[in-house]
Amino acid sequence: METTYTPKKNMYLLFAVLVIIGIIATITGFTTDTERTWSNILLNNYYFITLAIGATLFYSIQYITNSGWSALIQRIPMALGAFLPIGAVLMFLMYFGLPQVYEWAQPEITETDKLIAHKEPFLNVPFFMIRIVIYFALFLSVALVLRKYAKLEDENADIKYHQKSRYYAQVYIFIAAIFFSFASKDWIMTIDSHWYSTLFGFRNMVLSMYYGSAAIILMILFLRSQGYFAKVNDAHFHDLARYIFRFSIVFGYLWFMQFLILWYANIPELTVYYYPRFIGDWQPMFYAELFINFVIPFVVMISDELGKKPKVLLGISTLLMIGLWISIYVQIMPGAYGPMKFGFIEIGMWLGYAGLFLGATFMALSKFSLVPKNHPFLEESLHHHI
Amino acid sequence: MAYKHIIAKFKDETVLLKALTILQEHKVNLVDIYGPFATHDILKKFTRESKLPYAAIIYGLISITAIFGLMYYTSVIDYPINYGGKPYFSFPPMVVIMFLVTILGTTILSVLTFHGRSMVFPGKPTQTINPDVTDDTFYLVVDQNYNPEEIKVWLKESGADEVFEKEL
Repeated sequence: METTYTPKKNMYLLFAVLVIIGIIATITGFTTDTERTWSNILLNNYYFITLAIGATLFYSIQYITNSGWSALIQRIPMALGAFLPIGAVLMFLMYFGLPQVYEWAQPEITETDKLIAHKEPFLNVPFFMIRIVIYFALFLSVALVLRKYAKLEDENADIKYHQKSRYYAQVYIFIAAIFFSFASKDWIMTIDSHWYSTLFGFRNMVLSMYYGSAAIILMILFLRSQGYFAKVNDAHFHDLARYIFRFSIVFGYLWFMQFLILWYANIPELTVYYYPRFIGDWQPMFYAELFINFVIPFVVMISDELGKKPKVLLGISTLLMIGLWISIYVQIMPGAYGPMKFGFIEIGMWLGYAGLFLGATFMALSKFSLVPKNHPFLEESLHHHI
Repeated sequence: MAYKHIIAKFKDETVLLKALTILQEHKVNLVDIYGPFATHDILKKFTRESKLPYAAIIYGLISITAIFGLMYYTSVIDYPINYGGKPYFSFPPMVVIMFLVTILGTTILSVLTFHGRSMVFPGKPTQTINPDVTDDTFYLVVDQNYNPEEIKVWLKESGADEVFEKEL
């Protein structure tokens, strides 16, 4: 069994090329349409932070539930969290583009807009930046502690480090769940600063795990194609497929609940958010979001036999990566930018961020033993069957 | 509805597994296995196709069409009322009811089908092979299809503690 991951040299070259494409796209964006570029930076920051938070939440859930089956693949969600420090820096750079994206950050808007003036004690630029620092300080401090104990567990076989990991996983689950839902309200919901939804933060936090598990599946399938993880069997895929299937139902439920209540109440301040999406130009994207994230995974995964086939999982997980992009695109762009535009800027910047994300992930993966050596549940996971 | 079955008693599940393999090699029609706990290998070897999921899908489709038809009939054709300027036929509020009635209809009809098919209903006298089936013994029930004497010999050779016939 392969225990350490040695990445190929060409892979980092590929990631570097992707990042260069991203930089070119960003420069083209800034020379043609700065507002669209800043919106895209926010979109991609949020996209990859969602994946990182979702994967680390998955990691902590395995600890607090004492899950035996996942011990074999535990290094993957931990490595996917390696984007968080980069995400923190990139999110902080949003400081320079705040007025381009957020209505409330524009100078002197409080004089004309009474509602924003009312919300000003919370929605102002210094406090917004302070909150970003607080969120990332909390996420990173606990995530790094979890990383440290995983490393220590590999080096010395001692149950103490597992118990420590378990304790900090409980802390992390609270911090990530509460503060990521705040963060998504802060970063995404305040774009439409007159509108609010009490479900918004919860929805984005829970769904981060949906896409996080899809990313984990993609990583496992990639590493299997490289000859690692030969011990990952049908039962592991079955368990991962169940994550996808259940979260697809959660997606459908939360998507519809947020919509139904606002549709039914018909209050002008609240329907203003759904007007461009449900009736206006964004209608195709609005329905595409539902179909890609809910209908297709749900219908395909409903069959137990079909759902756990690696090829089906590959297709669905890839689809979900597109689905997450569309989901965030529909949430950000109508408020931050306006017209629906899709071109080189969107694709190029996503590729650039993907290069950064994958680079960070594979770098983190190669620093650790690929399979946790002294995990108490490793033996159970190696022989996992349902 | 009672047929004679050949029943073999086992104290050890590994012996039962051996007998199961031998009987399956000879393509004997197995009816059921009773045991005090679930054994993975037995579950893997002794799989039975159930058509209940397909019936459930059909029940689900029937329920969803029926409830949609009812809501459409009441709110559009028979008694249209204007609620807050919404169109008579508006889909979003129907979704929740359709979802719930589909689950309800599918569940009730599936339960009735299952009970009807396996002849289980309230008040039916219990049919146990032997009281110790709830204790620590495994029972393998075989249909008396073609060569009952040969089946008995196979079961005895594989190490069954006891082989007998009973009407079930």
